[in-house]
Amino acid sequence: MNHATIEKSIPLMAILTLLVVAIGGLVEIVPLFYLKSTVVKVDGMRPYTPLELKGRDIYLREGCYNCHSQMIRPFRDEAQRYGHYSLAAESMYDHPFQWGSKRTGPDLARVGGKYSSLWHQAHMRRPQDVAPESVMPRYPWLEENELNFADVGSRMEALAKVGVPYTSDQIAHAVDDLKAQAVFQSDNATLRQRYGERIAFDDFDGHPEKITELDALIAYMQMLGTLVDFSTPQPETH
Amino acid sequence: MSDKSKVETTGHQWDDDEGYPLKEYNNPLPKWWLYTFYATIVWAVVYWFFYPTWPMVDDYTRGLLGWSMHKQLDEEMAEAQVQQKPFNDRLEQMSLADITRDPQLQQYAISGGKAIFGDNCAPCHGSGGVGSLAGGFPVLVDDDWLISGTIEGIQETIQTGHTAMMPAHQTEFGGAFTASQVDDLAAYVLSLSGREGDKEAQARGGVLFKGDAGCVGCHGDNGKGSAKDTSGGSPMEKTIGAPNLTDGIWLYGGDAAAVRLSIAKGRSGRMPAWRVGSEGLNRKLSPLAVKQVAVYVHSLGGGQ
Amino acid sequence: MITQRVGTEQYDYDVVKMFTIMSVIYGIVGFLIGVIIALELAFPELNGGIEYISFGRLRPLHTSAVIFAFGGSVLFATSYYVVQRTCKARLFSDFLSRLTFWGWNLVIVGAVVTYPLGLTQGKEYAETIWPIDLLITVVWVAYFINFVGTLAKRKERHIYVANWFYLAFIITVAMLHIVNNLAIPVNLTDSYSIYPGVQDAMIQWWYGHNAVGFFLTAAFLGLMYYFVPKQAERPVYSYRLSIVHFWALVFLYIWAGPHHLHYTALPDWASTLGATFSIMLLLPSWGGMINGIMTLSGAWDKLRTDPILRFFIISLSFYGMSTFEGPMMSIKSVNALSHYTDWTIGHVHSGALGWVAMVSFGAIYHLVPKLWGTTTWSVRLINVHFWLATIGIVIYIVSMWISGVMQGLMWRAYDHYGNLTYSFAETVGAMHPYYVFRAVGGIIFLVGALLMAFNVVKTIGNKTVSSVRVG
Repeated sequence: MNHATIEKSIPLMAILTLLVVAIGGLVEIVPLFYLKSTVVKVDGMRPYTPLELKGRDIYLREGCYNCHSQMIRPFRDEAQRYGHYSLAAESMYDHPFQWGSKRTGPDLARVGGKYSSLWHQAHMRRPQDVAPESVMPRYPWLEENELNFADVGSRMEALAKVGVPYTSDQIAHAVDDLKAQAVFQSDNATLRQRYGERIAFDDFDGHPEKITELDALIAYMQMLGTLVDFSTPQPETH
Repeated sequence: MSDKSKVETTGHQWDDDEGYPLKEYNNPLPKWWLYTFYATIVWAVVYWFFYPTWPMVDDYTRGLLGWSMHKQLDEEMAEAQVQQKPFNDRLEQMSLADITRDPQLQQYAISGGKAIFGDNCAPCHGSGGVGSLAGGFPVLVDDDWLISGTIEGIQETIQTGHTAMMPAHQTEFGGAFTASQVDDLAAYVLSLSGREGDKEAQARGGVLFKGDAGCVGCHGDNGKGSAKDTSGGSPMEKTIGAPNLTDGIWLYGGDAAAVRLSIAKGRSGRMPAWRVGSEGLNRKLSPLAVKQVAVYVHSLGGGQ
Repeated sequence: MITQRVGTEQYDYDVVKMFTIMSVIYGIVGFLIGVIIALELAFPELNGGIEYISFGRLRPLHTSAVIFAFGGSVLFATSYYVVQRTCKARLFSDFLSRLTFWGWNLVIVGAVVTYPLGLTQGKEYAETIWPIDLLITVVWVAYFINFVGTLAKRKERHIYVANWFYLAFIITVAMLHIVNNLAIPVNLTDSYSIYPGVQDAMIQWWYGHNAVGFFLTAAFLGLMYYFVPKQAERPVYSYRLSIVHFWALVFLYIWAGPHHLHYTALPDWASTLGATFSIMLLLPSWGGMINGIMTLSGAWDKLRTDPILRFFIISLSFYGMSTFEGPMMSIKSVNALSHYTDWTIGHVHSGALGWVAMVSFGAIYHLVPKLWGTTTWSVRLINVHFWLATIGIVIYIVSMWISGVMQGLMWRAYDHYGNLTYSFAETVGAMHPYYVFRAVGGIIFLVGALLMAFNVVKTIGNKTVSSVRVG
């Protein structure tokens, strides 16, 4: 076809352009939804507990992804520094994903359980107190702000709509479950019944008398990378 | 293309009511441009044959090389093993004491221990083990060991972690003493390292320290530290980790307010257990890694 | 602002003027926030513990301000100007023109208010919350209708090449924006992306990379195709080349997204597609540079006297450099080193400052006297701006190259026993001097932009009204 025909016709130009730009995306995106090799299910993955979910929302709110990745690459140095490379299944309940694109600070994919909550408190209060080289800002407001958790059930409902397998039981007891994890040394048997044994319990923010945003954020971080047990071999993921 | 095309335009013209009108020459595609473009296409097509590329119906084309990023990692790790295995084998077999008597092996362990320490331990204990007051993270370069400063003791502490259990003493925080009693206790504790203060308060505090407050149970009769750990399960001698209060070395800061706060609210500093299988999966250290860190920390200057 | 002069009834210049002024203002705002966050990385205490100006909340404001506020305003201004002049037709609808202007500015105000409050979708370059996303969609549809409607009124049957690029930009950005932002709202401000983990990652970088490809490349090539020949007073070098590189560019660019996800949990096959299509993209990208530079080639003598042409030639040079660097960084083994480091930041800025901002400055200096019917207040000041901008960019890019490559190498450095040499914290400490240099480069660039603003204000107020249009 002579190009003059195209460049004299707006519909032709517009439709051809749309077709041409659509192809690449279709080929790269659509198979990710149907190829079984994309996300190989592994044992241990579960949706976030209500407190972790609120913590994750705060992680997004503060823009942590601008400086921290949650994606360990399959390299020798990263295996030694951060641990086993990240699996697709480990972010299967993430809406949106938080792999990040920059490591101004270290990767956080397996930061859970690495440091005590006391360390996290000191670090969030003033990172340079524990890591003099750090360029991270202070986050003093997190331990001052009481956590607004009234809406956690509706957040879980929204996530259930996009495919996160929250049960109606989990949604109905969202606030109770949140308190059971956030209030140190409270009875958490039903929470564990609903979400399993791999849950961090602690006085996350160092303020046992109140539930703060820092409680949620540290609870989220203490969970990161701790759900899948890599001391036993995992299914081949490639 | 004839030379004419270089001087003649396509004949179309736009925007000719002001300034220079827009016209187009119709020069041929630069040859180097076109051939390089072809070359990149050829390169890509060849690449597709060798590497995983095209998604199909229930799988994707795997490529002739059978390459995958995870296999690449396996190869990288295998290469590293070749270099490190002779050292690692000996490290695994030898006792910590023997390792420190073999300078070459000790150097290797320190190199590995330093690398692991930098990313896992330094965030609390500071670069090179200089400690941090911010959360009561102990200095590792001095002679003041809370639990044990022997190389075996250090290894054990890394593996099992440690949780401090200094209880709160002031009533508002769940303790059994009034604010003024806590003031007295603080005055006494400060006097143990020779700090000046109100003699009467110190005296009252001393009575409480040795009596109702039960401080001596952990900190010893004279505040010099730490009771032996008799909980069992450990082959070596270690203490329960209560600090010596007479040496002027303070975990949470030595100013009067910090000391008073420790007594009033208690302290629950916690070192995570780093043994594989302990709580909090995946960020744990293999026995070999723990051994190397123990050798490194022991070498920092304060090892006993 | 409404100054009717000879011939202006024919064209709607008012909306072009409005967008031109906003592009100068938003440019300064965007660069200023960039300088602030660069300083925050060099001196982390700088936010004073105030949540609203902490790095994590300001960085999206910086990227949105420069891409969508500054870049977007430049593109609205120039596309509305170019489509009118090349079609010899007034914009299709005055109402839609105003709707796009006020709508787009409302979007930007929305971002400026919501980001510091921590209201975000948590997807890079798509942080705006769902109500703002809806508004963007409305504005974009209006833009499409207005642009296509104007094209339909054209006097010359052939659509000029600049308009192909603008049209491709408008169509593709619509597709990207809608697909990437599909989400389930929780309340009036919050929502969750409908895609999980790995699929969300792919869609995000399909969007993110082509925001660069179509917002910052294709559309600005459209700008280049009008302003370079117009300012150089030379015909475009090759019509044929523009056809081939246009279609190759729009087809190939879309595939390049996965190179942002090399060695992640994205499957190997997608990663290979991203890398190979990025390599094939090199020459089509360069097609625009060749056409631009060869168009200027008959007018080299003018470079001595015309600083606007100098902005164009340097922007095309930076364009050529960063479109070469990009495919190189998309090769898996190179990416293994560069990814997650400041190298990427340096690369983005060689494109964003060197290409996008420089070609925009050239266009603004060309436009302002024409729109207001005055003469440029100070050509010398344009020259000073040119040098400040160039020096600022070079300092910026070089610091980020050094810090990026250095950090990448430090992360994977081993001692002779095969153990990691540096802790992560040590690599952060090593970045400090380069973060300071980078901020200095940014400040110099910002000063240049302030001079431009001053020059633009003086030019608008210049009494020397140019003679009646030639035509």
